[in-house]
Amino acid sequence: MNTGILKPTLAIYAAIFLLFLYGPLIILAILSFQSQGGGPQFPIQEWSTYWYRHLFGVTETSRVSQLPVGDALVRSLILAFMTTVVSTVLGTMSAEAFRTRFKGSGPVFYLIILGMMVPGVLVGLGMALLSNFAGIDRAWWGTAFVLHVVYTYPFAFLVMLAIFNRFDRSVEEASLSLGVSPAQTFRRVTFPILFPGVLSAMLFSFTLSYDEFSRTLFTVGRELTLPLAIYGTFSVEIYPNIFAFGVLTTLFSFTLLVVYGLLMKRFTSRRARFSGQEEAA
Amino acid sequence: MTHDLELIQVGKTYPDGTVAVSDFDLKVEKGEFVAFLGPSGCGKSTTLRMIAGFEDITNGEILIKGRDVSRIPPEKRPTSMIFQNYALFPHMSVRQNIAFGLDIKGLPKSEKDQKVDRIIDMFDLTEFADRRADRLSGGQRQRIALARGLVVEPEILLLDEPLGALDANLRRIIQNELKLLQRELGITFIFVTHAQSEALGLSDRVVVMSNGLVEQISPPKELYRRPASPFVAQFIGSNTIIEGKPDGTTPEGLVCLSTPLGRIAGHGAPTSDMAIIPAEAFRIDDSAGPGALHFEGTLTGKTLVGSVGHLRVRLADDREIEVETHADTDAARALTPGTPVTLGVDPGAVTLIHS
Repeated sequence: MNTGILKPTLAIYAAIFLLFLYGPLIILAILSFQSQGGGPQFPIQEWSTYWYRHLFGVTETSRVSQLPVGDALVRSLILAFMTTVVSTVLGTMSAEAFRTRFKGSGPVFYLIILGMMVPGVLVGLGMALLSNFAGIDRAWWGTAFVLHVVYTYPFAFLVMLAIFNRFDRSVEEASLSLGVSPAQTFRRVTFPILFPGVLSAMLFSFTLSYDEFSRTLFTVGRELTLPLAIYGTFSVEIYPNIFAFGVLTTLFSFTLLVVYGLLMKRFTSRRARFSGQEEAA
Repeated sequence: MTHDLELIQVGKTYPDGTVAVSDFDLKVEKGEFVAFLGPSGCGKSTTLRMIAGFEDITNGEILIKGRDVSRIPPEKRPTSMIFQNYALFPHMSVRQNIAFGLDIKGLPKSEKDQKVDRIIDMFDLTEFADRRADRLSGGQRQRIALARGLVVEPEILLLDEPLGALDANLRRIIQNELKLLQRELGITFIFVTHAQSEALGLSDRVVVMSNGLVEQISPPKELYRRPASPFVAQFIGSNTIIEGKPDGTTPEGLVCLSTPLGRIAGHGAPTSDMAIIPAEAFRIDDSAGPGALHFEGTLTGKTLVGSVGHLRVRLADDREIEVETHADTDAARALTPGTPVTLGVDPGAVTLIHS
């Protein structure tokens, strides 16, 4: 293709991509500032923070009941945290195991990856039936938690596998040959080098678990997680308080990303500072 | 007496039956510089890693200072290994890298600092001490790796192709440093390389390996002058190899072979059937001393490298051999390709072996 056409074409493509990526978010964000009398649609009757105040219950009682998401939010955060810890630890350990080809490593690899390939609704339904059959009560911290780990563990595993692939084994051997025990070698050499990867695996696990829907639907039991609780409110009537909540939880996600970015930077900045020194010298 | 390092019938066979190394016997004195030399895949690195404890052995035993370390994990062996890719810790400064081994040992801070400072000074690393290691040049990084390996005061330093990633110039410099260092410290060095010049130039003794077997263990000079196997004769230097049948002895006690190129006398066992003549043993003038061997041939090529002339000569049986002479002689200057030449060899320089 002519390069004269290629550039504007790509620019337009990128613009459309960004529009579809952020468009819905921006619409939600704008509508969240609708006034009390306005509905969940344009035009904005009057700009106000009414629905944010409504969300925290600091408005006078209205005909719209408060969004029942407080407990669900806490549950989702705890669930995502538990999932993150377990998936990352499992993912790191199994990726470490895969550094040497063991007997049956091929099938085991695909077995792990299957966790993220199989349709969520089916797994959820199957889990519900299984727990029913086995007489296990369904709960967000039990049946749903197990499925969250099954789902996010392959992601953590793949991230760590990529990290280990780039990891130079002789660094560990150098440490051992200096008389450092395997445990200390892991703590002082292996882990610090792998930490950025671990952080990425954690980020994946957390975000995937935090807004998991289909697997949770059938396995969560009576106490709902956040995505399910929000979905539940749709069945009544939609008010802009959901938009306000959406904006807040998006901000929370961005905060997570910033923390991730800062931690990554902290781990790589020393090298950057050093290379600056060399240029100055 | 106890040796610094002793390998007794050491061997390694992988679970699938592949033999990596077999029947490795070696005794190393304290302060000796031993090189393992051989083509890639000959088992030299595997043997080094077995000494370090990174590979387990399936036969024999490894003794360090008389103590059997065959089943002892690498961190408990008094060895330190230097890697080809340096294997520095990328998340630590130069000083932290070097101090790492002592840190873990829990030495008093003053003693540790003193040792680290001394070795940093010794390796001229003072100005880089607080930098990250991963952006320094190859030579500097190799110095850091050496300092890091030596500061923990190992009995034996194991070096796995430590100069392989350096360019030719730097390689020569570090090579010299290594040799001085080893003399100064008096520590036993085991050095793995596939480069002849390194092995022959640095070490007190060379172990030539091929296909997991030890071919010969000798001082470098001996390796040149008296190769003990056809492999060594082909691998080291450039030798002419002539096969023949045992044919008695000379009055001087030399063994003789009858070959298609005539009767050849040389040093060796009476059952030998192969004569090995180093390229530099040939002389072009036919006025060689009494008892000298003579070969008739035709000059086919001539290259001068400094004052050394590399000649190619076709012998009576159509083989082409390599001959090294001083290019300054009139005889060498007068030669042009196509002229017939007579090569003289002193039987003392000929080695006879059994193939």
